[in-house]
Amino acid sequence: MKSKNMLIKVWGMAIILGVLITACGAPATTEAPAATEPPAATEAPAQTEEPAATEAPATEAPSGKMFEGVTVNLLTFVGPQVAEPLQRRGPDFTELTGATINVITVPNSELYQKALTDMATGTNAYDAFLFAPSWIVDFAPAGYIEDLTPRIEADPALQWDDVAPFFRDFNSYNGKVYSIPLDGDMHMVYYRIDSLQEAGLEPPKTWDDYLNVAKTLNGTDLNGDGEADYGSCISKAPAQQSYWWIWSIAAPFIQSQGNTQGVFFNTEDMTPLVNNAAFKRALEIYKETGLYGPPDESNQGVGDSRGLFISGRCALTMDWGDIGPLAIDPANSKVIDKVGAIVTPGSTEVLDRETGELVPCDETTCPYAVDGVNYAPYASFGGWAGAINAAAEDKAKDAAYAFLSYMAQPAQSNADVVVGATGYNPFRISQFEDQQAWIDAGFSQEAAENYLSGIEASLNSPNMVADLRIPSNQKYIQVELDRILAEYIAGNLTTDEAAQQLYDSWEAITEEVGRDSQLESYKATIGAK
Amino acid sequence: MISELDTMSPELEEPQPTRLHTVIAAADRLAGSVFILPTVLALLLLSIFPLLASLYVSLARFKIAKGGFKLEFVGLDNYKKLFLGPERTHFLGAFAPSTPLTWFLFAVILVALAFFLAQYLLKARISLGGLIGRLLLALGLAGLAWMLVHTLWNDGRLGTVSTTLVYVFVGIFFQYILGLGLAMLTVQNLPGRRFFRVVFLLPMMITPVGVAYMFRMLTDTSKGPFTPIWQALGLVDFSWVNNAWGARTAILIADIWQWTPFMFIVLVAALESQPIEPLEAATVDGANGWQIFQHITWPAILPVSMTLILIRLIEAFKIVDLPNVMTNGGPGTATQSLTYHAFVNWRALDLGGSAAVAYMLLFLVTFFGMIFVNLIRGRVVEAL
Amino acid sequence: MKRWFQSKTYNTPSPVGKILSYLILGFWALLILFPLYWLIITSLKISSQVAEGPFYLPFVDFKPSLDAWKYILVGDLSNDTLRTFKNTLIVAPTSALLALILGSTAAYALVRFEYRPRVSAIFTFIGCLALGVAAIFLGVPWTIALAVAAAVFIILLQTIGRRFKRALGNNDIAFWMISQRMLPPIAVVIPIYILFQRLHLLDTYTALIITYVTSNLPIVIWLMRDYVSTIPIELEECAAIDGASRYRIFWSIVLPLAIPGLVATFLFVLVFTWNEYLLALFLSSANSQTLPLVIAAQNATRGPQWWNMSVLILIMIVPVIVIAIVLERYITRGLLIGAVKG
Repeated sequence: MKSKNMLIKVWGMAIILGVLITACGAPATTEAPAATEPPAATEAPAQTEEPAATEAPATEAPSGKMFEGVTVNLLTFVGPQVAEPLQRRGPDFTELTGATINVITVPNSELYQKALTDMATGTNAYDAFLFAPSWIVDFAPAGYIEDLTPRIEADPALQWDDVAPFFRDFNSYNGKVYSIPLDGDMHMVYYRIDSLQEAGLEPPKTWDDYLNVAKTLNGTDLNGDGEADYGSCISKAPAQQSYWWIWSIAAPFIQSQGNTQGVFFNTEDMTPLVNNAAFKRALEIYKETGLYGPPDESNQGVGDSRGLFISGRCALTMDWGDIGPLAIDPANSKVIDKVGAIVTPGSTEVLDRETGELVPCDETTCPYAVDGVNYAPYASFGGWAGAINAAAEDKAKDAAYAFLSYMAQPAQSNADVVVGATGYNPFRISQFEDQQAWIDAGFSQEAAENYLSGIEASLNSPNMVADLRIPSNQKYIQVELDRILAEYIAGNLTTDEAAQQLYDSWEAITEEVGRDSQLESYKATIGAK
Repeated sequence: MISELDTMSPELEEPQPTRLHTVIAAADRLAGSVFILPTVLALLLLSIFPLLASLYVSLARFKIAKGGFKLEFVGLDNYKKLFLGPERTHFLGAFAPSTPLTWFLFAVILVALAFFLAQYLLKARISLGGLIGRLLLALGLAGLAWMLVHTLWNDGRLGTVSTTLVYVFVGIFFQYILGLGLAMLTVQNLPGRRFFRVVFLLPMMITPVGVAYMFRMLTDTSKGPFTPIWQALGLVDFSWVNNAWGARTAILIADIWQWTPFMFIVLVAALESQPIEPLEAATVDGANGWQIFQHITWPAILPVSMTLILIRLIEAFKIVDLPNVMTNGGPGTATQSLTYHAFVNWRALDLGGSAAVAYMLLFLVTFFGMIFVNLIRGRVVEAL
Repeated sequence: MKRWFQSKTYNTPSPVGKILSYLILGFWALLILFPLYWLIITSLKISSQVAEGPFYLPFVDFKPSLDAWKYILVGDLSNDTLRTFKNTLIVAPTSALLALILGSTAAYALVRFEYRPRVSAIFTFIGCLALGVAAIFLGVPWTIALAVAAAVFIILLQTIGRRFKRALGNNDIAFWMISQRMLPPIAVVIPIYILFQRLHLLDTYTALIITYVTSNLPIVIWLMRDYVSTIPIELEECAAIDGASRYRIFWSIVLPLAIPGLVATFLFVLVFTWNEYLLALFLSSANSQTLPLVIAAQNATRGPQWWNMSVLILIMIVPVIVIAIVLERYITRGLLIGAVKG
């Protein structure tokens, strides 16, 4: 009886297993996710009837629309910033070409993981991405995203040369272009023209000036509500933007010979340039700005500090280009026409890489100095750009490229960058030069000039700094640097300890990944020999 | 499989031995399997693969590679980093030097553990397995005690392990007490208690991310609703986010607010399911409220409470949304929980490191879970 | 005077007791409702009103605006909102119900039956399952892999299985089940993603439902175990004597008596599945996204959009509250009154 019992149990389990397996197998046929098979384009060949200027003709044919029946799945993060223009112009694009643009959004903090798992595991549910171009350094060597250089060369409508050279480089890797910028990002310092004038202060040229202005204006009433306001608002929460702000402060102290000199690592032996007087000075400055800011600044992200500045509670702030358009928004802004923008402050001293000490600026040490001040604007983050999944279907890829090109072309792009809500900031040379568009959007003459000249000065600087774009860059910057900065700001580490710990942890990562390959990568991304 | 009821199904009336009856009888005997197998299979099928895969990942390094990704086996490297390497202060905390106070406390704990072991050894029947189990338990507790004693004061800083332990034990303590108190109050015959019951359920229903953002708004000392109070207290320039324990307290408050309803509703159901006769009899006999509670109510809800605390214990160890949203793990790394630590690594594509932290969390939870289940539950059942 | 402290029946508090109770209950209710009130008025604010400082009363302190509500429900985000809301409405109650059914049967079994799975059987089973899964992962078609694994298992069971007799008990099974919840989801997200990808179930309701059911089964089992064990066995014995089958006993006697527990458990699991974020993020791409994703996403590059978030949070809790209100009455009855006599 016992063995019979056992046999029954065993067979029972086997049967149930079998049933479950077949049940699992069935949906595979009925529920193939619609995203992995874009409906095969009804090969009704398209005619180039639509305005040729806005289309990169990918195929040419007589009747019907070019991408009739093609669906493009575009992944980006939930809007309204960045996603909204895509969603708004999608239907226009469909009108023109017949392709449906399906914008899929996920939370910003998980965008990278989603894109990565999709391509690394071969799911390929997405045909295109609108993400951070610094990620192409991970995706391009692995062959996940497509090399767009040939398409761009065959696409005069895109006006690639109008894209500022810096952004062209940033969207390339190893000489090939992998993404199309729709947005240009860099740090600038914004100041309250009225408050500084009243106090008789000049807009800061160096970081010491910045601290001075912040200290003077801290505690005064800047927005007329009777309450004390803040001198400087730079958000310092962990896992937010801390690890970008610090480089805007440190770069002018470390780099002076142009961006091929490198600011993160020594280009001889890949040792980190952080355990020296320059970076330590930067750490101290960063911490000191906190003295003149809101008390919970160490728990604030850029959204908070931006909000504070726009509501008139800060004299100075550092931010990307968003403040320009936001400041003129009559619904939300209390500082309309009171905001000035300047290139991020520089330094009159620069690092001597042999000794690790700071030396004064002169013609040899700071060849690009302006009035004795070395500037090193930091194009942090680089701006949102569109890339194409190399494993997508050809028709989908063509349609995706056409859409990205459409979005980036001046006709659309120039309209989007003047509106703060889109999250797109200028990246085309024509966008800085054409002040009229900005004035039409609501900037006053002075505000437009001021804002645009700030951007231009930054972009034209020969000493610009780009993000670190070598393998494991997230570990260097977003894990180690971020954590040590957070501990430093919280007072758990002294300046020397912080610099030393950062040096040690970066060296550990470099060793783990391979010093030689990292050095090669690093030199390739900054164009050093 | 033996079933209690089987011994009682007598053959009193000889049922007609029809085909149907044999089938039904057979189905009845199989009931044991039928009831439990679907669950077991479902759990097995969906848990084995992720468990083994993540175990392998914790022993490997993840790299993006052409055409996919690569997992390179590195052995215990990821774990070594946590205990001995660069992640040590992050994970275990910054250890302060030993002082007489710490030695004293540690000695107290050691004595307690020794007592516990001795108690076991003096029992009539001991087994090798039991002995080894208790030794491991004692070692584990001693290790944790050492860590806590050296990181809680004197310039020591708590690591993610200790922070998580604080969240779990302090949180559950308050959640249970509050939940029980509120449950006992709402079980009374009060008009309007249904209103209270529904309202008390609300916090649990809000999505954890939502609760986190809500408390972030509430605890904002410059824009939140308590700003006037804060200003009146003269604390305008002070922010709780800059203080490690202040931040942890804020998170604990949010956690308690959110999860007390969990305890509350289960205890209400348990209290309501109590048979009424003993209670009425006791009242008639003149027992006062406390006596009734101690002798009738408490033993009755004890089993459910134990289950409740175990479930909540397991969930509490995984806390991540509150530290993530309210303080981003700050100041420094003071409010980071173990899951947050794993999350940070995961975002940086250090999947191996992330899995290693997750497995350490698993060991920790299993450790405490087993303690709870074996020692406390067993003793509870004995006492009933 | 003494009457103020006397209670009439065991369950009705004295007048003083009543006042104290209401005070405490009222205070706690205030603690709960105030944040929700804050949420409501934040949803009526625009960004400058939030940045400037606390405003408490609409129309008195500040001018309320329906911008956030419009944006979420009929404006730009409405497609996302309504679609994800629908998905959540489908996925969450279904998974909760399924988990409840499977879990309560298993809980009953763990209380009433005595299982003795042998350790050897368990290990061989897991071993073969692992082999099968590894084979699938390496590319062997899944039917073959699983069939071979099953065969190997049966063979091993008959041979090695006989040698090692040590067995586990019900409590071990239960502990194993609850231990499924111990590993934080972050560690298993990518393996689960890959698992469903191989099964071509990504971005479907099925994947989400299966995942939610299996991850919440342990909770159902543990909670129901206690409720079921409070049901006196005499009732079942009587029914068995009367000739009822095991299934019938479960269905007609045990379940009705366990209703308070079933309802409470259902509410929990519903809440868990309703609010789950990480697995939903990964297992869905376009079609099956659920509402928690939209809330988390309001933390845009611009910083948290508090007003939008408040609207979304409020929308999210409404259905759950409605269900809770409807089901709350079932938790209150002591249905065992008079069930067991003598």
